[in-house]
Amino acid sequence: MRKIVYVKAAAVLVMLAVVAGFLHYTLPQHDIVRIVNTTERRVDTSRNRLFWTNAEEAGNASTMQDVYFIEAIRPDGRPMVYRNQDTGWGWPPYFKFDSSNVQAKARDLVSTKDNPQWVVITHYGWRNEFLSIYPNAIEVAPVDGPDVQIFPWFNTIFFVVLLGLLVFARRVWLQFRERAIDPVIEDVEEFREDAERTVTRAKGRLRAAVEKVSRWLTRR
Amino acid sequence: MVAALRLLVFGFLFLSVIYLVARAYARSVHREALEKEWAEHPKGDRDQFVEEGMRAYERSLWPRLLLAIYVVPTVLILVAIIVVNFF
Repeated sequence: MRKIVYVKAAAVLVMLAVVAGFLHYTLPQHDIVRIVNTTERRVDTSRNRLFWTNAEEAGNASTMQDVYFIEAIRPDGRPMVYRNQDTGWGWPPYFKFDSSNVQAKARDLVSTKDNPQWVVITHYGWRNEFLSIYPNAIEVAPVDGPDVQIFPWFNTIFFVVLLGLLVFARRVWLQFRERAIDPVIEDVEEFREDAERTVTRAKGRLRAAVEKVSRWLTRR
Repeated sequence: MVAALRLLVFGFLFLSVIYLVARAYARSVHREALEKEWAEHPKGDRDQFVEEGMRAYERSLWPRLLLAIYVVPTVLILVAIIVVNFF
């Protein structure tokens, strides 16, 4: 019994982790960085296609893509590299078609260590060196300094709406159970009780009949 | 173009599922309210009372408001396209 509880808890934890990871990958985040270079590189996206977008769409069987990259340095001095790809009409639903414009803006904001121009990069996705995956830059804009705080308005609204939808789904389920499932269960229950009563009565009648017959047979 | 079409088709199917669920839910809640109303102040036949109430509900504005399930995401997508690409 206890083992089942552990298995259940583990399954719930894994599911929560998957959902959290999915949201962390997909939702937008803001980085304050200094752009040091912008490049365009040909990459082979076949190995981890999940972490690249291909707005150009089917038709081109080639997995080789020319991808814009934005190379940046964070305020703590560590590097960060972003890709700059259209998502188009596909997933995730950012509807980004202006990667060339974003690249031009990023190029315009390149600065040096001595005379830094800090930039906020709105992006989604993860950087992972082992998988060679890069977060996708959605928007770049200049900011005053490296300490600027940006309130995540979108994510706040997103989670409020998500919570509302979950509450709604629960209410729909409860209503469905109350109005559609419970009555059926009650019907089945009633039917079963009816049947039991009938069987009991029939058994009683049968026993009485058997008794009657046996009494008649044993009568002298 | 293929991707836009795919979004249109799957988006429509997805929203249709939500719409049908929400419509069934709203009807069920209204029917329950009518049954409770009748239980408190019984007048006439129960089934007839409920059916008439449901027919009045179908004619009212509420069921049509559920079409917002199609409208709101479409508007959000348009807003996203404008914000992401033109700002």
